[in-house]
Amino acid sequence: MSVVTINGTTPIHRRGRRLSLRRRRQVAGFLFALPAIALVVGFIGVPIGQAVYYSFTEWNGLTSTWIGASAWTQAFHNSNLWTALQNNALLLLAVPFALGLPLLIAMLLHQRVVGWRIFRSIYFLPTAISWVVLGLVAERFFAYHGTLNSLIHAVGLTHVSTNMLGYESTALSALGITFVFTMIGTNTMLFLTGLATLDPSLEEAARIDGAGRWRIFRSITLPHLSRFIQLAFVMTVIALFSALFSLIFVMTGGGPGYATTTMEFLIYQTGFDQGAFGTAALYGLILFVLTAIVGVVQLRLIGSEE
Amino acid sequence: MADIDFDGVTKVYGDGPPAVDRLSLHIDDGEFMVLVGPSGCGKTTALRMLAGLEEISSGTLRIGGAVVNNTLPKDRDVAMVFQNYALYPHMSVAQNMGFALKIRGESKREIARKVEDAARILRLTEYLERRPKALSGGQRQRVAMGRAIVRSPQAFLMDEPLSNLDAKLRVEMRSEIARIQRLLSVATVYVTHDQVEAMTMGDRVAVLRDGQLQQVATPQDIYDRPANEFVAGFMGSPPMNLVPCQLRPGRSRVEVVVADQSIELPLGYADTHSLPEAGADVVLGVRPEDVLIADATGANVLKVRVERVEALGSEALVHLAWGEGGASSSRDARSRSFIAKVGPRVTFAPGDVVSVQVSPEHIHFFDAGTGISLRAGGR
Repeated sequence: MSVVTINGTTPIHRRGRRLSLRRRRQVAGFLFALPAIALVVGFIGVPIGQAVYYSFTEWNGLTSTWIGASAWTQAFHNSNLWTALQNNALLLLAVPFALGLPLLIAMLLHQRVVGWRIFRSIYFLPTAISWVVLGLVAERFFAYHGTLNSLIHAVGLTHVSTNMLGYESTALSALGITFVFTMIGTNTMLFLTGLATLDPSLEEAARIDGAGRWRIFRSITLPHLSRFIQLAFVMTVIALFSALFSLIFVMTGGGPGYATTTMEFLIYQTGFDQGAFGTAALYGLILFVLTAIVGVVQLRLIGSEE
Repeated sequence: MADIDFDGVTKVYGDGPPAVDRLSLHIDDGEFMVLVGPSGCGKTTALRMLAGLEEISSGTLRIGGAVVNNTLPKDRDVAMVFQNYALYPHMSVAQNMGFALKIRGESKREIARKVEDAARILRLTEYLERRPKALSGGQRQRVAMGRAIVRSPQAFLMDEPLSNLDAKLRVEMRSEIARIQRLLSVATVYVTHDQVEAMTMGDRVAVLRDGQLQQVATPQDIYDRPANEFVAGFMGSPPMNLVPCQLRPGRSRVEVVVADQSIELPLGYADTHSLPEAGADVVLGVRPEDVLIADATGANVLKVRVERVEALGSEALVHLAWGEGGASSSRDARSRSFIAKVGPRVTFAPGDVVSVQVSPEHIHFFDAGTGISLRAGGR
């Protein structure tokens, strides 16, 4: 039996039903989100929490001993940490090249130069190949009897031939060059996508307004690509901090000395070579914070424009 | 300011047919020339060649007497308004309008003065600091106009600038553009597929079809004396009625046989028209407003059946047909039907048989084969 008011409506029942409907929707929404929440908490939240805990311990993989804040003070007195951080910082010098070269290539491909389809495939190819394979190829390229020196010999510059991976002064440069090469495909594609979304009539309008090529690039193309460049920057920096492991492992093993040991490689060495998993967890947290800072700053920049 | 001269200008893409075929057209300094035609007629290609955005396959293009075939767009000193306005999204209205002046190296003060002057003409002063995305369609259109006029170019080129606006705004902007063009008195080439824009805005209208120029004349001339069947059918809404018929010139009159009925024209008609031999097929053209629905039963009256009446408020369009079977979508049935534009509040209903009269001076004849007007010196 239902209660009907004078004007024929049932306000109390309706309101009650509406609320319960909303609640049911909330519950349904939560249930739908639950698997994703469980995955994020289980595979990201819990390990981060564990890493924080283990960073205050001496942990050999089996037993852990709580040593508190001294774990952190000891770690910061370790010169290898500072070398790794310095290597990471030096590798940041590769970022402008990892963005600039793809931008140049994308601009050329966008002009539909002869054979642009083939070139596009060639430039994108490294992206589809495992970084381990790319590392092996790079190792052969930079080796004393490798491709680079063959080329140098071929042009008669035998006296400058060198084993780039063999010296502390040059190994990091070789790694940086390889990193730039591995990023070219992805970033070129990203910039090509950006250029494809540029309304061609804007360029035409600028041409009629009197702009030359450089002016069009600076005043029309570059501002349009700024979002894409920001995204490429974040992706490149994060890759530089957290995806170089396979290249380093295959090309230099972190050496000579610690010349090519980055933070992520230091984590591996500390944990798996030295069995100091507690310290490795601590280094992992430092890397996490560094990467997060880059990401957050960049997202803020992008967000502020919106 | 300068005049513009297309001299046998042709554009061919690949192995295809010419997009613009030997276009010869002169636009006087200060003249408002409208290029009109259906989609794919080559009007936009012609405009883009004038802007320097398309290369010219053959022919000569002059601006202010100078051949510009190989001149870069930036060196032609023309301003263009694009269909989608092509406003620079990351620049403010003022920066959009001042961009060309900045490139030209004018001082900041000079740029600001010119932008403010143009903004005043276009009523954009309060929007100068906004970005294009914060503007309405009509305001964006005005910014595009502003970007063109601050430059004081030799010519304005406009590529369907009103097609993205709603109907009401389009009517407003139509007169706005015409007003500004007359104010600045700069040679303007305006491309449109809208024949109302062509009729209302242009000093002269050039009608194109399949890359070929069909007729250039004042709007009224185009309407009153179309050079061929295509122009007659394209200009005017509803378009001119075109009905196949036979001519039988007699001793004292010319008899026009339409279906199984006939009307008579005075003999003098043959003097002003190059009418073909007796029995020849021609196409009779008559504007809807020149078809009079009358009660008369005398001479020059055709008996027709009312198919449909469209009341438009201020007037009514009466669809008429003769012969049996009524109008269908077939071509044959179309050639046996036509439209009369009459005053509102008509009393007839579909199925009624009425008499229509057409005064001989309002009749056009076109060659059934070539479509060319048979009026002596018609083109």
